[in-house]
Amino acid sequence: MAEAVLVHLQDVTKTYVMGEVTVEALKATNLDILAGEVLVILGPSGSGKSTLLNLIGGMDRVSSGELSFRQQALHLASNNQLTAYRRDHIGFVFQFYNLISDLTAWENVELAATLVDNPLSTAEVLEQVGLKERLDHFPAQLSGGEQQRISIARAIVKRPLILLCDEPTGALDYQTGKSILELLLDVNRRHGSTVVIVTHNAAIGAIGDRVVRMSSGRIAEIQVNAYRASPEGIEW
Amino acid sequence: MYVLYRKLWRGIWSNKGQFFAMALVITIGISLYVAMSTTYSNLGYAQERFYDDNNFADHYFYVVRAPEGVGKQIAGIPGVEKVTARIQQDVAVIKEDGSRASARLTSYPLPLSGQVNSVALKQGRLFEAYPANGGAEALLDPAYLEANGLNLGEQVEIIAEGRQVPLTVVGTAIGPEFIYAIKDLSSMVPDPKTFGIFMIPLNQAQEVFNLPGQVNQILVVFAPGADIEAVVSQIEDLLSPYGNLASYPRKNQLSHSLLDSELTSGRIMAKFFPIIFLAIAASIQIILLRRMIRMQRSQIGIMKGLGVSNAAVLFHYCSYALAISAVGALTGSILGLLFSRSLNQLYATYFNLPNVEGFHFQIIMYSFILAASVGMAAGLSGSAPIVNINPAESMRAQPPGKSTQNILERFPFWWRRLSPLWKMSFRSVARNRMRTLVTVGGVVAAVSLLLISFFMNDAIDYMMKQYYQKEMLYHYQVRFDQPVLSSETLAISRLDGVNSVETFIEIPVKIHFKGRNVEDVVNGQAQGNQLKTPFDSEGNPMAIPEEGIILGEITARKLGAEVGDLITVETTFNRGAPMISELSVVSINRQLFGSVCYTSLSQANRLLHEADVITGCMLLVDPGRSAAIEAQLSEITGINSITSRQKEIDNITSLMGSSMLFVGIMIFFSLILGLAIIYNSIVMSYNERKKELASLLTLGFTHGEVSGLMLKDTLIQAVPGLIIGLPTGRWLAVFYISSVSTDMFTFPVIISPLSYVLSLLVGLGFILAGYWLATRGLSSLDMIEMSKYVD
Repeated sequence: MAEAVLVHLQDVTKTYVMGEVTVEALKATNLDILAGEVLVILGPSGSGKSTLLNLIGGMDRVSSGELSFRQQALHLASNNQLTAYRRDHIGFVFQFYNLISDLTAWENVELAATLVDNPLSTAEVLEQVGLKERLDHFPAQLSGGEQQRISIARAIVKRPLILLCDEPTGALDYQTGKSILELLLDVNRRHGSTVVIVTHNAAIGAIGDRVVRMSSGRIAEIQVNAYRASPEGIEW
Repeated sequence: MYVLYRKLWRGIWSNKGQFFAMALVITIGISLYVAMSTTYSNLGYAQERFYDDNNFADHYFYVVRAPEGVGKQIAGIPGVEKVTARIQQDVAVIKEDGSRASARLTSYPLPLSGQVNSVALKQGRLFEAYPANGGAEALLDPAYLEANGLNLGEQVEIIAEGRQVPLTVVGTAIGPEFIYAIKDLSSMVPDPKTFGIFMIPLNQAQEVFNLPGQVNQILVVFAPGADIEAVVSQIEDLLSPYGNLASYPRKNQLSHSLLDSELTSGRIMAKFFPIIFLAIAASIQIILLRRMIRMQRSQIGIMKGLGVSNAAVLFHYCSYALAISAVGALTGSILGLLFSRSLNQLYATYFNLPNVEGFHFQIIMYSFILAASVGMAAGLSGSAPIVNINPAESMRAQPPGKSTQNILERFPFWWRRLSPLWKMSFRSVARNRMRTLVTVGGVVAAVSLLLISFFMNDAIDYMMKQYYQKEMLYHYQVRFDQPVLSSETLAISRLDGVNSVETFIEIPVKIHFKGRNVEDVVNGQAQGNQLKTPFDSEGNPMAIPEEGIILGEITARKLGAEVGDLITVETTFNRGAPMISELSVVSINRQLFGSVCYTSLSQANRLLHEADVITGCMLLVDPGRSAAIEAQLSEITGINSITSRQKEIDNITSLMGSSMLFVGIMIFFSLILGLAIIYNSIVMSYNERKKELASLLTLGFTHGEVSGLMLKDTLIQAVPGLIIGLPTGRWLAVFYISSVSTDMFTFPVIISPLSYVLSLLVGLGFILAGYWLATRGLSSLDMIEMSKYVD
């Protein structure tokens, strides 16, 4: 496991004002995300895990504290700088895939590839996620697992340094979920991307290098796994 | 079910932009309907009542002169209900400042009541047959009185039979035959400063024109059910000994024909324009409701699950469309009534017609029924899918939208070269066929309306250029009282500042060909004349033939005559016996208004068995000497009228301002229509694709790039609309012109390249404005919220 820090969070908080109610979604959080690691963020609904993921991904701004990516202060970045950050360094995988319904599997991946100067080959990426035979299918013609594979292909084609996955198995059945986790670990091994998985499923913690446990907007515990378990070997 | 009304109100509030845009389109449709229907109903009613009240003639007969008693003989013919025999003659008027005008001196047997083409007094009193202080009394048309700053009790001076005759103005009056008071078709618009209607008692006219006991015109009203053709033929036979000059039915009467054509075109527009706006509003409502129902599928399922009936849910969604209609009908009716007042005033400047006013409850009622029908039709058609929604199924997530191959994908060479963003746009447009169709149709309608509006401007421009810069090049046109020797113009050519004098003769004729007769005027132009030129239908100038005749297009069509045919020409000058000659048709000319046949001056003289007579001349003068020359011409008593080309142009230009206002309003309405269509289409697309747009932002696309995607969507639909809109607009202009063309005038549809360019630019303007309005919310699109959103 490499030790270089990619993302550094120092005393980061996030509060949302919803009408007359102020919700403190994330309380003074400190965390370093290391290059090449698989980090699993665990926690129940409302624990702040997705908020943390969104801040890391440059989708949202911190309320206070410092957030930096390789010494670039993201908490001070403009909207354009955040867009460039997402474009160049981040790949997202969502629970509900968020594919473009009017584009085929190939085109969904190609769309992301057009964003960067030196993308991976769309064909190779699709082959890697096991969808070589279904390139011309639209999302509506694919199963949930297949859609999630395209979503992963779309994320990695840009050669992102960090792959952020928000409940990537949440909408999938048991077996399919496992195959998706396997694919994520494969991406980590092949491309060296840091993979951050947010989930409420505690069993998934075993596949990470480290596990961050969240509770009530705080990091309750950071656990370092002695070794990464294979998804095949875990049960839930 | 008041809770459902609350839901309706909230639905309207959350979609207020779209609600307002659609209500605006309905408002325009209804306001056009109310304004035009009210105005043309007012005009139609006023015309009908005025005709009835004043016994407007069904048929006109002109003779050289006939004894007054001929009227009684005609009254005895079965099928004739009313007859008036009178004298009517155009005369020159010498104004106080010495300048010339002309007047149509029309006489009336007394008592006036019950006479055909009687008059309605507007000011002062009626004339008397024998005024106590001698002389002659006259009624003037109010426009002439006002334009020339005259007052009741003052005198006007006319020239008749070579004498100056003073008439005392005792009042103003209007008559059914002078509603649109122009001298002839070449005048285009009324010019009350130089042409007026003077009304005097018949006995005074007989004295003025030295026609004791005689008349030159017979007006007839037919009895209901009369065999008109037979009656006209009997009257013509009876009048033939008196030099039967002309005979024509009401539909060819100048004022009536122009008023009728205005009414016809107005009635067409009163249906045509509102239909376009209402149809588009209905189409947008249908797709909006369908989208709303798709989005609220689970809510509908819950309502049904709770036991709310299909009809109640259906009515709830229909209410949205009905609410739009109600707002549109209300604001449209108010605006329409305001517009109709302005339109009534506009018509009052052109038409001498009393009581062009009024509010028609029926029209307002129809406007509400119309708007409600549009709302109901759109509502029912848009909400129909509700019936098929199954409560249990509706609560499950809908499968993702299906995409299929579109037409461009059949050309893989091109398709492969498109970026994924372009592919997204093309597929989205192809998938939402109904919405695409409505958007394209709406843009087509807006652009074609724009082109028609600009075309109206072009039409006036073309008319002015063709008539005053190509056909008529003289500075002044002088017409004499009677035919004179061409040497008489020597005095005019010697006037200081007169550079050129060209002579002509105008002879009223009846042309016969293969059993058909048409009344026309032969214009004989002297050899080498350059100040008046006929043009062919292709717009090319034509040379005047030494022999033979150039027939007017309308006359040729009525006769069925073609180039090379031999036609019979019968002169109908009101002096002397008719002369009959045969002439060969050399070519055919196109005149914008009415019809004129051209020949050489010598050929025209041969028609009259004369050698060297003329009835007028055209002058080119030094611009600096115009006023002095006009004053000197006015002193020559033998001159019947002096027409200044510049004054005619100024008069028409001053009257065009109000027409331009109408064109401006139409351009504004077209703009609103286009804007509403584009805005609604983008908002619908934006709302449907929010999640995908947020995904693009998450991937790292900038707001500008995502906004560009929406622009691509818009352009794919709008650009074909723009392109199709131009030929459609041209086609509509042709349709419009052909539906308003009459025997008396027709018009070539000539649209300037600038109008096409302007229509495109304004079209592009509303597309970009609609796009800007609809995509303002993009910057606040919440990526996080959307990433969690499940369809």
